Amino acid sequence: MGLKNPAEQAVILLRSRLCNPNFIFTLFSDSPDSNYSKLKYIISSSVTESCNNSVLLLGPRGCGKLAVLELVLEDLLREFPDMISVIKLNGLLHSDDNCALKEIARQLCLEHQLAFSKMASSDENSQFLIAMLRECGLAHKTVLFVLDEFDLFAQGKQRLLYSLLDAMQSVTSQAVVIGVSCRLDADQLLEKRVRSRFSHRKLLFLPPSREDLQRLLEHALLLPSGSDLPHEFVANFNSKLLNIFADKKFKDIMDTVFNTDSTFKQVLTFLFSALCHLDLKRGFLSVENFKDALSNIQRQPKLECLKDCSILELYILVCMKRLEVREHETCNFNSIMKEYKSIHDSFQTTDYYARDVCRRAFEHLLRRELISFLDNRGHGHSIEFRPVKLLISWQELYQGLKSYGSCPAILYKLVERETTT
Amino acid sequence: MAETPKKRSKQTPKHQQHDLSSSNAITIPATPVALEPTPVRRSSRLYTTPTAATAPPPPPPRFTRRKSLNFTTTTPTPIPKTPKKPAPQSQEDAAKQISPISPDRYETRRKRKLDEEKNAGLAKNKDLKGGKKRVYYRKVVYDGGEFSIGDDVYVKRRENAESDNEDPEVEECVMCFKAGRAVMIECDECLGGFHLKCLKPPLKEVPEGDWICRFCEATKLGKNVELPVPPAGKKRARTAKEKFLSSDLWAAHIESMWKEVDGTYWFRSRWYIIPEETAAGRQPHNLRRELYRTNEFADVEMESIIRHCYVMNPKDFSKAADEGDDVFLCEYEYDVCWHSFKRIAEISNNEEDAEEDESDKDWNSCEITDSDSEDDTDYKKEKINGSQRGPSFGHSLAANLRKGQFFGLQKIGAKKIPEHTRCHKQTEIGKAKAMLLLACLPKSPPCRNKEMEEITAFIKGAVSDGQCLGKCLYIHGVPGTGKTMTVLAVMRTLKIEVDSGNIKPYCFVEINGLKLASPENIYRVIYEALTGHRVSWKKALHLLNERFSNGTNWEEENNKPCILLIDELDLLVTRNQSVLYNILDWPTKPHSKLIVIGIANTMDLPEKLLPRISSRMGIQRLCFGPYNYQQLQEIISSRLKGIDAFEKPAIEFASRKVAAVSGDARRALEICRRAAELADYRLRKSQSLNDSAGTRRSLVGVADVEAAVKEMFQAPHIQVMKSCSKLSKIFLAAMVHELYKTGMGETSFEKLAMTVSCLCTSNGEAFPGFDTLFRVGCKLGECRIILCEAGVRHKLQKLQLNFPSDDVTFALKDSKDLPWLAKYL
Repeated sequence: MGLKNPAEQAVILLRSRLCNPNFIFTLFSDSPDSNYSKLKYIISSSVTESCNNSVLLLGPRGCGKLAVLELVLEDLLREFPDMISVIKLNGLLHSDDNCALKEIARQLCLEHQLAFSKMASSDENSQFLIAMLRECGLAHKTVLFVLDEFDLFAQGKQRLLYSLLDAMQSVTSQAVVIGVSCRLDADQLLEKRVRSRFSHRKLLFLPPSREDLQRLLEHALLLPSGSDLPHEFVANFNSKLLNIFADKKFKDIMDTVFNTDSTFKQVLTFLFSALCHLDLKRGFLSVENFKDALSNIQRQPKLECLKDCSILELYILVCMKRLEVREHETCNFNSIMKEYKSIHDSFQTTDYYARDVCRRAFEHLLRRELISFLDNRGHGHSIEFRPVKLLISWQELYQGLKSYGSCPAILYKLVERETTT
Repeated sequence: MAETPKKRSKQTPKHQQHDLSSSNAITIPATPVALEPTPVRRSSRLYTTPTAATAPPPPPPRFTRRKSLNFTTTTPTPIPKTPKKPAPQSQEDAAKQISPISPDRYETRRKRKLDEEKNAGLAKNKDLKGGKKRVYYRKVVYDGGEFSIGDDVYVKRRENAESDNEDPEVEECVMCFKAGRAVMIECDECLGGFHLKCLKPPLKEVPEGDWICRFCEATKLGKNVELPVPPAGKKRARTAKEKFLSSDLWAAHIESMWKEVDGTYWFRSRWYIIPEETAAGRQPHNLRRELYRTNEFADVEMESIIRHCYVMNPKDFSKAADEGDDVFLCEYEYDVCWHSFKRIAEISNNEEDAEEDESDKDWNSCEITDSDSEDDTDYKKEKINGSQRGPSFGHSLAANLRKGQFFGLQKIGAKKIPEHTRCHKQTEIGKAKAMLLLACLPKSPPCRNKEMEEITAFIKGAVSDGQCLGKCLYIHGVPGTGKTMTVLAVMRTLKIEVDSGNIKPYCFVEINGLKLASPENIYRVIYEALTGHRVSWKKALHLLNERFSNGTNWEEENNKPCILLIDELDLLVTRNQSVLYNILDWPTKPHSKLIVIGIANTMDLPEKLLPRISSRMGIQRLCFGPYNYQQLQEIISSRLKGIDAFEKPAIEFASRKVAAVSGDARRALEICRRAAELADYRLRKSQSLNDSAGTRRSLVGVADVEAAVKEMFQAPHIQVMKSCSKLSKIFLAAMVHELYKTGMGETSFEKLAMTVSCLCTSNGEAFPGFDTLFRVGCKLGECRIILCEAGVRHKLQKLQLNFPSDDVTFALKDSKDLPWLAKYL
């Protein structure tokens, strides 16, 4: 394989960069106001000054909470070798107290090469946890508890959080509890006695600003000059890329991406998909790549759903729409069939299908979640009698019909008439 | 005091050049001397130990920074060799704790014998066979020196080393080789002593802080140093300290002492080790007088003891009240098996096991100060119920199974002691941070004197009654008002009174309701705490019922009054409230001798319960009100006493802020700690920017406290709203608009989408399409900026703002990229 196209190599390099959060977030780690340095200060101060802390990392999803934490942990593990043990829990997996305690015990055992028994009761596990915290504190070792999806730990009696935070009130322990949550009100979920023990350090992770984004683009996409890629190619690639960055069209595209969702994750996904559109023969990124990526990223699932529907299904949807407009609060299969028949009768359409065929189409729509049952009651009833609701608005339906290749004109007209009246 | 040396000290202090023996780092497994009944060499020293009854000659006033010995105060009457009650436990568990690779320091013959004994009979049999058995002592006067358990001694290392014979108690001056009475100063590097007048230039008085002799200074600079040569005919005598530090002697901690059948005296030693002998070697931060305690034990004949030395923890060492030359610092324990270090736990943690063997009082009074209380207590418990469960260490070695003890915890230890932990030079802010830690508990809680008195009176009244009627106290108050701490402080003071004999002994059981896996488990925990047996909770309930209701069935010695402290009492409320009923019913029984103190947050817990429970619990109550700002201020400033780190208004600001919200002391302390952290962070930042800024006054000011308060109390949603994407902002504005238009808090996605598309079209924005908008809505819902139903509902999804619309208005009013939003807010 040895000799690869430099473009291919460059794509591999850039992709691996985009998929590596450590690379992306090192960009923002140097300034003293960044979350990285604040978090590092908090954790390293509790490592060196042997105190206990608890921190909450809050912010919308995709803003790099865990990525920054990983970065900090990696640095600290390098800085203080075998003085830190990290216990990672996830609220989705370990929200049950007993199970969480067991998992903690398991990870502690693993970390310190101790034998672990699945049979231990939760009492034993919690005593083990306390004993371990004590021993680790005596050996100047810090235990970090990373609780991802922190809000889910705040259910029920919060026994786990209480015992963790209460253990941190003892002198010898040396632990940091790091809660990661996208719920901004995560600390309000804590019970009073737990909240009182929580030390309420909060770090807020926000989506990047426009300037940060610009920096990120350059950081991620410009090829390094010192790599084994041919020098000429790198220079060429970079200059073209800078041209693109200055391009008005590119800016518009980035605006569109940024306007809907400005998180790191969204931007990275976008860049990745642009990179995937790169034409290896040409070897350079172009504005078209980004345009393709944009269309890739802005999917309209409901409209696409409509595109896949059969004509009969469209009929059913239009019928439902008409019923809805006529202030029929609820409709069910039977009333839809009545409407369908009346349309057929008044316009003499060619598409008239038997009742059970319609029913199949109806079920299909249900499964595609274009329509849904109004409530969860009446499971016993047969489908015909349960009230249903349309899940798409008329605009979407209208748009969908417009873009549908072989839509019967009558349907189109019907919808249009409904909207005008 | 315990300052770290600046520089890795040279391994060869000058006395080694005069040394007869080559001290190439001797590794641990070497046999100690005088184990066989070799010809007895009585070391004929009169003044070997300061505790010796014969008044020792006053030592020359050695004026180092450590004060000289104070012999006169410690002259107890020599206790005759009366056999005391045997102390089988320490013997037994010492045998148990032999480190896995027991080095040959341990004599095999001895060992076999010991094992035989262990098999032959348990502790009690030993009493009966008295004559043929070992007799244990608490204190032995041997060879002119008095040794008691817990003392530290030098032990001979080699059989016939000549140098061991000479044993100058008095250190000679490095320069003039005379001891004399003149004031001497100790070099912090080589520990050599110098007469003040022998120095060049001579010093008038002992200087403050570190002092390093000129020889060490010169070696540091890389010069070749010639030490003064002793005058002909006079060999430089080495003190025991010097010999020990060059590994010619051993130091050991006496764990137990006994007389063998053949009349020889033995003791079980726990070795100390000097830094050079550890796997990590001497580390730069090691002090000259630092030792490590090992977890290695051996039985050694008393014969090989040379004399006392004094090994103390850093706190005592820095105080260094009355010590002479043989003072050492020991902060860490060294595991010889895993070559790892561990801090020695503070003795205050040992309170429990001191309580355990309250029954044989005379043994208890000589309290063993070995630190692994955990293992000890557990082991004792194990031994007590050993009859019903044989020790099954063989197959169940899982670390998290508690079969008597957690196996393998000794493995945890630092391979090397990290340097930063030994740096004792803290900044004022650093000290303040340490003091403000929640873990750092004051001796007695400030501002709770009234409550303390009340609890003391309650317990005393209950315990000191002749028949000890059962009683019940309910303590309530919001979190962070010092409820548990106060009760524990009271128990501590009472324990001192028990020790001094003013109050009858009682047992104290502390339980936290939230730490129980289920409410019923409390029976098991109580039973285990009282007896040490572990049974199922049903059995425990049965047995406890028997004990408390009938008062019979139990051995006499266990019939002490029992104080039960139940924290977070509300967690014990079950559906039929039987657990709470049982526990509160016991005190009313005539023979129960049970006192229950319940702690919870809710004021009206008794009222919420069944009447039969509230009538038992609600009689005596104690309320811990939230602290007001003066009290908080006092709490904070009492912790910060003597530390100049906070501006006074800053403390007041913090306490007022907290008092206004909750009156939670924890919160106030955390705010101050956070403020100190922020100040520290700020200072470091400014220092890294320009060095001259470091000279500014580095106090924690009101601004720092305000920042900390802001961080703690301010919800972050406004910031998130300000920085979220454009579409999210439009979405939120549309929510507010909708709210104003309809007056209803709740809206559906369909309606909202219409509003958004209206807003967009009338302001020249592109409407992104329903699906995109829907995604944006779900993201906002995830952050709980809005509340929304699950995404499957799509068009029907109901939405509601989670924050007041004013917040949204405030956040979005002047957003730069969407100036037109303000119209709709």
